[in-house]
Amino acid sequence: MQAFFARPHYTRRYFFRIAGGVTASFLAARPGPAQVTTAASVITQNKAKNVIFILLAGAPSHTDTFDLKEVPGVTPPELEPTTISGIRWPAGILPKLGQQIPEIAIVRSMRAWALVHSLAQTWTQIGRNPTAALGSVAPNIGSIVAIEKEKERTPSQVFPTFLALNSDGAAGRGYLPAIYEPVKVIPSTGGIANTTHPDGLARFDDRWRLLRELDGPLRGNSPLGHQPEDYESFYEAARGLMYHPAVDSAFKFTAEDSARYGGTAFGNACLVARQVLAANQGTRFIQITLCGWDMHENIYTRLPALSKTLDDGLATLLKELKSSGLLQETLVVAVGEFGRTVGRLSVIHGRDHYLQQSCIFAGAGIKGGRAIGATDETGGASVEYGWARERDIRVEDVEATIYSALGINWTTVRHDDPFGRGFEYVPFSSQDLYGPVNELWS
Amino acid sequence: MGRWQAPAALAGCTVWYFCTLLLSAPPEANKTEERTGTIDRHLFGQMQAEGVVPAPKTSDFEFLRRATLDLTGRIPASGDLLRFVADPSPRKRQDIVEKLLNSPEWVDKWTMYFGDLFRNTARTSQVVRGNQGRNAFYRWIRDSLAANKPYQRMAADLIAAQGANSWEQGQINWLAGGIVTGGPQQDTWDQQAANIAETFLGVGHMNCILCHNGRGHLESLSLWGKSATRLQAWGMASFLSHSQVVRRLTDSGQSYFEMMDVQLFQTDYALNTTSGNRPARHLIGTRMHVAPVYPFSGGGPQPGENYRAALAREVTSDFQFARAIVNYIWREFFVRGIVEPANQFDPARLDPDNPPAEPGWTLQPSNARLLNDLAREFIENGYNLKWLMRQIVNSDAYQLSSRYPGEWNPAWEKLFARKLVRRLWAEEIHDAIVVSSNVLPSYDVRGFTEFGFPRVSFAMQFPDPVNTPDGNGPISKFLNAFLRGDRQENQRKPDGCLPLALNLMNDSFVMTRIRAAGDSLLAQHLARPDEELVSHLFLAVLSRNPTEAEKTTALNHLKAGAETRSQRAENLLWSLYNKVDFFFNY
Repeated sequence: MQAFFARPHYTRRYFFRIAGGVTASFLAARPGPAQVTTAASVITQNKAKNVIFILLAGAPSHTDTFDLKEVPGVTPPELEPTTISGIRWPAGILPKLGQQIPEIAIVRSMRAWALVHSLAQTWTQIGRNPTAALGSVAPNIGSIVAIEKEKERTPSQVFPTFLALNSDGAAGRGYLPAIYEPVKVIPSTGGIANTTHPDGLARFDDRWRLLRELDGPLRGNSPLGHQPEDYESFYEAARGLMYHPAVDSAFKFTAEDSARYGGTAFGNACLVARQVLAANQGTRFIQITLCGWDMHENIYTRLPALSKTLDDGLATLLKELKSSGLLQETLVVAVGEFGRTVGRLSVIHGRDHYLQQSCIFAGAGIKGGRAIGATDETGGASVEYGWARERDIRVEDVEATIYSALGINWTTVRHDDPFGRGFEYVPFSSQDLYGPVNELWS
Repeated sequence: MGRWQAPAALAGCTVWYFCTLLLSAPPEANKTEERTGTIDRHLFGQMQAEGVVPAPKTSDFEFLRRATLDLTGRIPASGDLLRFVADPSPRKRQDIVEKLLNSPEWVDKWTMYFGDLFRNTARTSQVVRGNQGRNAFYRWIRDSLAANKPYQRMAADLIAAQGANSWEQGQINWLAGGIVTGGPQQDTWDQQAANIAETFLGVGHMNCILCHNGRGHLESLSLWGKSATRLQAWGMASFLSHSQVVRRLTDSGQSYFEMMDVQLFQTDYALNTTSGNRPARHLIGTRMHVAPVYPFSGGGPQPGENYRAALAREVTSDFQFARAIVNYIWREFFVRGIVEPANQFDPARLDPDNPPAEPGWTLQPSNARLLNDLAREFIENGYNLKWLMRQIVNSDAYQLSSRYPGEWNPAWEKLFARKLVRRLWAEEIHDAIVVSSNVLPSYDVRGFTEFGFPRVSFAMQFPDPVNTPDGNGPISKFLNAFLRGDRQENQRKPDGCLPLALNLMNDSFVMTRIRAAGDSLLAQHLARPDEELVSHLFLAVLSRNPTEAEKTTALNHLKAGAETRSQRAENLLWSLYNKVDFFFNY
């Protein structure tokens, strides 16, 4: 059986011409492949096959983590500021990541646009202003990767192209067809629930055939409109996961494996991400969300525990991706939706929302062990941008970097959006407002 | 009528049998007939003006399933369905609508709906209402709906809520939902104002303007918003600035809220913050405080009037208040709002007699006169939610078929030229499986039953959709697969998703209900001849008769195969639960 994710959505109708007999010819045809143009011919990095995108939701304090600034009388000794490869690092709370610094490039000249969590989190995931003209229909970056990389899927691959772990709130596919929706999974030792049929495979096959026969006419060229048609792809995708040995081997894990990643939900997601990429079943973009960084109160009593979660999970992920050779072809990005106030703490010993932030990159041939850009001595603003555009790096630039790393022309414009305005992968591409941080590779 | 495609073109198509379903219901909607009623007059008038032919009227089978689901969240029982179809009364649709509006299931469904709209949960990242607070708010919503309290009063009761204990005065829990931690009081007042604007006025952009002027942010989104100022938004938030939702502790250390007025001892909204969740609030010149001014009328509190009461008065007497709720409710029945998204009204683009003069801006509602007239009548009829739903469900427009016998243009969606379909809510799917299978669960709902509420069999009776009824247990996981939301960042979504398919195909909740056991659907009908069995299963699960093609498929399956007949019947029932016309309202 051909896995559904392998088929472009517009071919579903052909399937039903075969399965369902004569198709109603008078019904409006669904749009064919979108007309796609590009604003510029660009040279992409094209060094990544996969992306793991870690959203540090709640916004970590950049000056206590990736852009450490020691404030006398404020920075607690537990952070153990240490210099590794010329980078000031809080070795006390991120010791294992400290050992991975040769793999990591830290972008410190990054600045967010907004200070409201939900807005800025969506902004980070869709690479544009959610309240701008196409913001309401804009797909998650991962959905764009899914539609771009679909043609590279082989018929035997059954995993979704875009997988979202611990990310129930992840931005969705926007206006793109249903198969580009992130498939949301909360990793657990038991793998994905309901991937076997309680009455056994033989009974299931029988039932599946009967369902196809009974429901085919409502799923292909549905007289009820396009929404029910989407369920054909969800059912096909679900069927592809059922009884597939790769599902259990990629999504199940042992307590020992989990312990290696810190034994947390985040660690489990990192572990599953590694297993899923190793399975080579078609997943190309994995989003993982780690919440809890919104530390307005008592930051130094809360930061160590969450940092340990990040440290155990991400450092082990980088280490194991590297040892298996996957790191070479996998871009890992970790970023919050904004940064936190710098210098002294607030009266309730916390840090509030702030635009300056940091973003870390690893893998896919980027040169680690260094920082790109620098901030002033408080961490409040960039003093060195560290890249060709000589301005603050924005989340739109991170988006362009991801596309470039994957060999996707970030100036692509799809002419299939519901408003007919043309959907730019990275906004304002025609004006060259944003672009990839090529300095990561040089 | 020029776009009408002759039905002769249907011959030989695979959807032919759906057209046969319609034979009992002649395409009345295609007749040029006088439309009465506000909804039909406006909608059919608009279609005619644009040369769009509406879909035919839907059949009795489809109508009853559709209206029962939309009004009560349930599917009709087979017996009721057959009686309804056989009833010769020309008023039978109106009569059944009346019955549904007055059923206890109506209260169940709309309690869930308003619980979503008012975001009632036991805890969020900011606010712990506790199970008792959540339950009290649930009970308040439920009692209000059961009494058919005018919506204006419901809103006023929430905005001007008074009370010493949020576990007893459920309505306090709404303003408590605006509490924002990690910042000054102003952050909470701002959030409460933003919630009021979004929930009761459909003006979600207030939230943006509470951080910064609209200029430079809302140019492409809102004609009103682009010139609205942060000062105006503060004027709205200032109505909350003499209120405090105070956290109290019980003897056992559990927290509840008291709604306090601090009228006498506190100045108006102060401009003196530099930290927290929104940008700093600095003096404007020498001005240190912002007085309460309702941004859409310029009105403020009368001498001696409680600020919250003044805000409740301003909001609920604003015509936009009626427009917003009419549009929210409309959306639940017609699947898309007259203004869409329903929480992004642009107050400067709503008046058809005064359309936006600025180039590039058009009226926002797809039918501005309809929205205004319906809102006006809603007010004249005492803000009566049942009145509104009655107008909607009894309209010809609502009763159009979801199938369009001609070439469909997606641009006609906003004309409502065919009935738009929606995927059922998680609770509706659960309850439809329960009702049709006749295998009733009995749930001890955590945080609810132990506080004296009854055990329940239907998911629509849960106090909230947040991992109810069993924590993150098997039933909760089954329901979560249908994206029921958490009333916080994750809103209820009608989208499809892969876990939905895995769960409907394999989850034990479904599997235990396809068996012939006890008094289950299959046990009741298994002894019948094949043809009757098929008919009963279709009626119970899909609320319709099988088409000829389906009947043939089903009968063939029941006759042959390695499995027992009982197993083959299970297969059929399983297939019906996985059909899109089971989990869609169409």
